[in-house]
Amino acid sequence: MNSKIADTAGSNSMHAQPDTHPDPQVRPYLDIHEQGREALPGERVEWHANWRHGCLQRFADQGFPTLRDEEWRYTSLRPILSRRFAPAEDSGLAPDSSAFRIEGIAHTLVFVDGIMQRPAAPLDMNAEIRVDSISEVLENDPDRIRPYLGKSAEERPHGFSLMNNALYRDGALVEIGQGVRSDAILELLFVSRTDAALILPRILIVARSNSAARIVERHVSESGTSSLTSGVGELYLEPGAHLDYHLVESQSESAFQVSGNWAYLSRDSRLDFHTTTVGGALVRNDLVIDMQEPGAQCSLMGAYCLSGRQHVDNFTTVIHSAPHCSSNEHYKGVLDRRSRAVFHGRIRVAPDAQQTDAQQANSTLLLSPDAEIDTKPQLEIYANDVKCSHGATIGNLDEQAMFYLKSRGIGGDSARMMLIRAFVDEVLETVGPDSVQQHVKALMDSKLSTLPTSAKSG
Amino acid sequence: MLTIENLRASVEGKDILNGIGLEVRAGEVHAVMGPNGSGKSTLANVLAGRDEYEVTGGTVRFKEQDLLDLDPEVRAREGLFLAFQYPVEIPGVSNVHMLKAALNTMRKHRGEKELDAVSFLRLVKEKAALVGMKQEFLYRSVNQGFSGGEKKRNEILQMSLFEPSLSVLDETDSGLDIDALKTVAEGVNSLRSPDRAMLVVTHYQRLLEYIVPDYVHVLAHGRIIRSGGKELAHELEDRGYGWIEQHARTA
Repeated sequence: MNSKIADTAGSNSMHAQPDTHPDPQVRPYLDIHEQGREALPGERVEWHANWRHGCLQRFADQGFPTLRDEEWRYTSLRPILSRRFAPAEDSGLAPDSSAFRIEGIAHTLVFVDGIMQRPAAPLDMNAEIRVDSISEVLENDPDRIRPYLGKSAEERPHGFSLMNNALYRDGALVEIGQGVRSDAILELLFVSRTDAALILPRILIVARSNSAARIVERHVSESGTSSLTSGVGELYLEPGAHLDYHLVESQSESAFQVSGNWAYLSRDSRLDFHTTTVGGALVRNDLVIDMQEPGAQCSLMGAYCLSGRQHVDNFTTVIHSAPHCSSNEHYKGVLDRRSRAVFHGRIRVAPDAQQTDAQQANSTLLLSPDAEIDTKPQLEIYANDVKCSHGATIGNLDEQAMFYLKSRGIGGDSARMMLIRAFVDEVLETVGPDSVQQHVKALMDSKLSTLPTSAKSG
Repeated sequence: MLTIENLRASVEGKDILNGIGLEVRAGEVHAVMGPNGSGKSTLANVLAGRDEYEVTGGTVRFKEQDLLDLDPEVRAREGLFLAFQYPVEIPGVSNVHMLKAALNTMRKHRGEKELDAVSFLRLVKEKAALVGMKQEFLYRSVNQGFSGGEKKRNEILQMSLFEPSLSVLDETDSGLDIDALKTVAEGVNSLRSPDRAMLVVTHYQRLLEYIVPDYVHVLAHGRIIRSGGKELAHELEDRGYGWIEQHARTA
């Protein structure tokens, strides 16, 4: 497939030479590689350099997705592809991260425009949770990450994750030691500072057997920056591990984000993955959870509140590869003005994955006649002893409930806020740590308070 | 307190109220009775400000104000309370949260101090006991999964919490067994006072055994066709609505 060639020269030849690459949308990123190659980490590590080069080649061949790709048919990338993004220079200035601090989270690792800021003192985590810069690990002990890094590229990666593979400069390796059960929350805070910055977060999490940990991956903007974040996360859960993961997207409403997380669950492990989105002009979240061994469990909880012309596409894939696994997925969205959301819920149950329990739901509250949701469940079930359900609901604010609250003296704005919060709270209240739950609720409240009164009923 | 003159209203273009006139003074309890489709519930809902009902004529004055000019939430804050015939279920909004928000909005409107969580809880538990509501219902979502009787108790709980000057009870007796009916009536009666008034809308005379009205009005085809004292309710019970309609036609 080479559907993206823009000029009509008719050249379909596949090559990665940037200056002659026919796709003007891909060319600048190949240039970035060409010019910055020496600075990329892991270029002297043979396996890594080969892998990177392979990904670069595939990126050059494949380009970015288009509306003709089934998995992208509701999300036009024009706003991203018509702009130019490039890695920001490291300004060397630590951001004033206190502005973004969440009370109750003591361990925060800050990335500015994608580059890890060296903490003044080592992170005071439980000694059994190691957090390292991926670029440093590639320098000093590359074999530590060899079994893990880049596994996601074995599947059918799209142009954005290939671009991350080919160009990423830094990231975090988090290793939770065997049997370590930590209550402390580790936060990876991505601050976008420079306008038009290309931010390529790379996260690798290895939860050793019978460990338990809670991680927050949070994206914010210092001001109204219009950056592109294209992140890849790979999460490995060894037998009996429990990981509570929170992706919080509250960047500026002119930012762009394509986030891909791939999780691999072994026997009896459990992943609770929460996605909260209030920021971003165009956001695409790919989440793939592969339950590879019996007894694994996962939950996928999503909440989003959009206004203006925001566009958020949650593309989730749950793979039941082994018997006796369960998955529970619920995404809830509040859409105002001309915003648009896409929910794609793919569930694949492999032929021998008997006794599978897979639940999926997507509910949407439309506050404006111009808002739109495209919701698509996609069930591929090859086993016969399976409990599987899916459902989608789309509705407006309940007028009867609005009148009931007003007749109790509660004003229209407060009543509406109460009903909308009640709608998303069903998902927000599944957020385990209190501090994180309070944060996402506060984000939701402040977002709701910006919604125009045009949605007012009655 | 409440003066209704020649009130006309329609729903989806269909005339339901065809010129209602009614005067309710402080301290009085008025019953509005009538057969199905006579406009009883419409009258209650028009007073509360439900916007599916279009007022096509007439005036309503409440405490020297043009009631029809006020938004539903302002009517409530001014002291008008509607006990719903079918209380609405609101999943995800806890009863206690809604009650506190409502009460504090009203207190604020009256220039009173808002109640903090502790004083509010003390008050709401006391009122819940008064209407025979189990405390667990305070922490559930508003009316969700409540039985018919529990929903009505919740309405009366709100009434005793808000202490409205005018309470409009829309078929509060429907769906209640006799014990629940008595408890609900006790709750209502405890609110009777010289500076409050009530408008009790009902199909049956039964409720009026327990909430004894000062005046009874019979509604048919959107008009009050007969008014009288509490004995009118008994007469209706004995002779049925057919009698009174016929009577009105020949009169």
